[in-house]
This record gives sequence, structure tokens and C-alpha cells, in this order.
Amino acid sequence: MKNNDINEKLSALYDGELDESEINSVLDTLSSDKSLQKKLSNYALMSSALNINEGNIQPIKSKNRLNPNFWLSNGITAAASVLLTIVFVNFDTINFSRLGPDNEAANRLSLAINSKEAKDIASLSQENLVDHVLKVINNPEFMSSNNSDIDLRNVGFNINGQTSSQYIKGNESFRLRLEKKNLGINKVRYWKHGNKMIYLVPLADGRVLTLYGNLNSESAIKIAQVIDQ
Amino acid sequence: MKKNNLDEDSLLIHRAQKGDTGAFNFLMTKYYPRVYASLFAFTKSKEDSEDLAQQTFIKVWKKIDSFRGDSAFFTWVYRIAINLAKNHVVSSNYKKDKINISSDAIEMDFASHANPETDLMHSQSLNNVRSFINSLPENLRTAFTLRESDGLSYEEISLITDTPIGTVRSRIFRARESVLEFMSQESTNEK
Repeated sequence: MKNNDINEKLSALYDGELDESEINSVLDTLSSDKSLQKKLSNYALMSSALNINEGNIQPIKSKNRLNPNFWLSNGITAAASVLLTIVFVNFDTINFSRLGPDNEAANRLSLAINSKEAKDIASLSQENLVDHVLKVINNPEFMSSNNSDIDLRNVGFNINGQTSSQYIKGNESFRLRLEKKNLGINKVRYWKHGNKMIYLVPLADGRVLTLYGNLNSESAIKIAQVIDQ
Repeated sequence: MKKNNLDEDSLLIHRAQKGDTGAFNFLMTKYYPRVYASLFAFTKSKEDSEDLAQQTFIKVWKKIDSFRGDSAFFTWVYRIAINLAKNHVVSSNYKKDKINISSDAIEMDFASHANPETDLMHSQSLNNVRSFINSLPENLRTAFTLRESDGLSYEEISLITDTPIGTVRSRIFRARESVLEFMSQESTNEK
């Protein structure tokens, strides 16, 4: 009962609807109650997720079951993990001061979130990706240079007779490339470039498949599955 | 269309301006996801967005005295965040600029490629949450969506639904608890 009371007050304060006389007690409890801090974080994530601009997400239809991995599959995910770290570190240890440059607070926040190792890996990975994507976009030869004539007829794609490195099915056309190195990625990533898509798909054997062209995501996944077999 | 409620955070902002770190922490927690999402939309980089979000809130804390309430608090925070992001792009010779990817470029990470079809349902989980909200009892759903999606105050919701403000407050709270429980179950099922 008492828990419900403080939780309901937290919800009201979140909406800016708590009486001023009650704010102190909620903030006091919040400063020491980690479960309440987490609840507040989750309220914020819920709001952000529900009001997210879907134009930035580009929904992809699938016949599959629900994706329960809500907290681990979108941009808000990182916010979730970082948020928990920041808030809890902040509540516990950081005493902000507005009297001068607060390097200590900045450093602690930074330490809490980004270890050197994590930054190095992320930086290296990002550089590899940037270089790779640059080549895909700017260098037509690059996407033709190691095509090994993979047979994709069982997913409906035929090699264009005139430009042998291009695969075609109806309105879809693309070029592919296989990298022996994994480019530092272990997740599928894709970008939109003009009317074309770039898909980078890490395969089970450590290689990375690059697909570039007019290709929808469902086709890209089917192609990756064929090559991965 | 979500309404901008200029007064929504005024009590907490006023306290933060007086040096109340608890109030500031509350505001930071409330707005961190939206700031992060805005920065991510701008930078397309998780690492940069995290760094910039930290810098944003440190700057907000230092400058909060100068917030006069002429705009919604989040609008003010958003401006700080985006200015930091713009400076970051210029100062760091931001490599993504060189890629010349169009402004509508998108990038999404998936949890793994073991089951890419499932992972590709980036927005499906959001749809699930929205479906769940639609399945809430009508009185909870109405109060919750009027608050979360339309940004109405409890008083406005009270007038619209012809219910006491206390009941509105309780319904919104119960709806939030239900949604959180649903999300938690979804996450547990995945594990």
C-alpha cells in the first residue's frame, strides 16, 4: 500500500502534477531507493518510445512472432543502459557544482559509461565501417571486385548478363561483396543512400556480406541466409 | 499532436535553479531518453550520442539559472543538445559527413544475426506495446493516452472524461504500471 502510494506520487510528479508539499518526500525517497529510480527511468523510456518519430525507424513488416526484445533492439536501448548508469552513478556519487568547470562530474560520467577499451573498440569498428561504406558508395569497382558468382536463383535473383556482378529480380537489383574480415561488427547494419540501400550482414563463419542496391530488407535477409548456409 | 506544457516541470526547474540536485536528477532522468534519441537522429552514432548527452546535461546544470521558461524545458534542453552536436560535427572533422549519406539516412542495430527476421522487426516491439495499450481497459487507456500522446494535464483529462482529478491520476499510474509489467514480461520471455 505504501509502495503504491509512493509509486503513484512518482507518476504524478513525472507528469508535473504532484502538489508542491509532496515533492520533497518523493525526491528524498528517490535519492535512496534504486527501484524507484529505475521506475522513473522506465517511465521516461516509455514516454520516449511511445512518442518516437516513426519516420526515423522505418517499420519493417514481418510475419514472425513478437519481438520481445524491446529494450535491446532500438536506439532507445542504448539510452536505457546508459540512463541507468548515469542516473545511479549520479544519485550516488556526483555532486554537481555550478561554481566552475565541473570536470570531475564530466569525468565520472564518462568513466561510468565509456571504458577506454570500449571506446577503442568502438572507434576502430566505426572507422572500418566508415571506410567500407565510403568505398561501397563511391567506388563502383569495389562492389565488383570480389564477386564469386554466388548462385541466388533459389531466392529468385539472376545475374545480369550484361553486367555480371549485378543480381536482378523484378524491380530489385543489387551487387554483393564478401569480406573475409568482420569489419568489427557483430550485428546487421544498414543505411539508406539515395534510393539505394547498403546492408552489412555478419555471417556465421566470420565473413561480412555487403549488399548494395535497390533491395528490400526481406530480400536482403533471404540472400544472407542462403550465403550463410 | 503532443501539446507543449510549459508549466509541467516548473516546480522541479525552480528547485534545480536553487541548487536542488534531486530535482535536477529527476529532470535529467525524465528527459535523457528524448535527448539521446534526438542526438542519435542527428549523429547516427551511439557513442557520440552518449558523450553528447552527458555534455548536454552538464551544460544544462551549469546554465539552468538562465532558463526563463519562455519555451518548454525540453525545447531549451534540445537546443543545447543540438548546438553541442553541431559543434561536435564541425570540430571533430566528423567522418560520417564525408560519406555523403543523404539526410534521411538510417541505421539500425539488431541484437544478433542468429535470427535476423525476428531482429528485423525493429518497430514491431513498439507496435506490441501500442497494441497492449489499446487492450487496456477503456478508462485506463483513455487517461493514459490523453496524457502521454496528447500531453494533456490531469485537469484537462478530468474535464474530458468527467472524472475527478484523483481518479485520473490513479488511472494513469495503473496504466503505466501495466505497460511496464508488459514490457518486463516481453523481455523475460525473450531470455
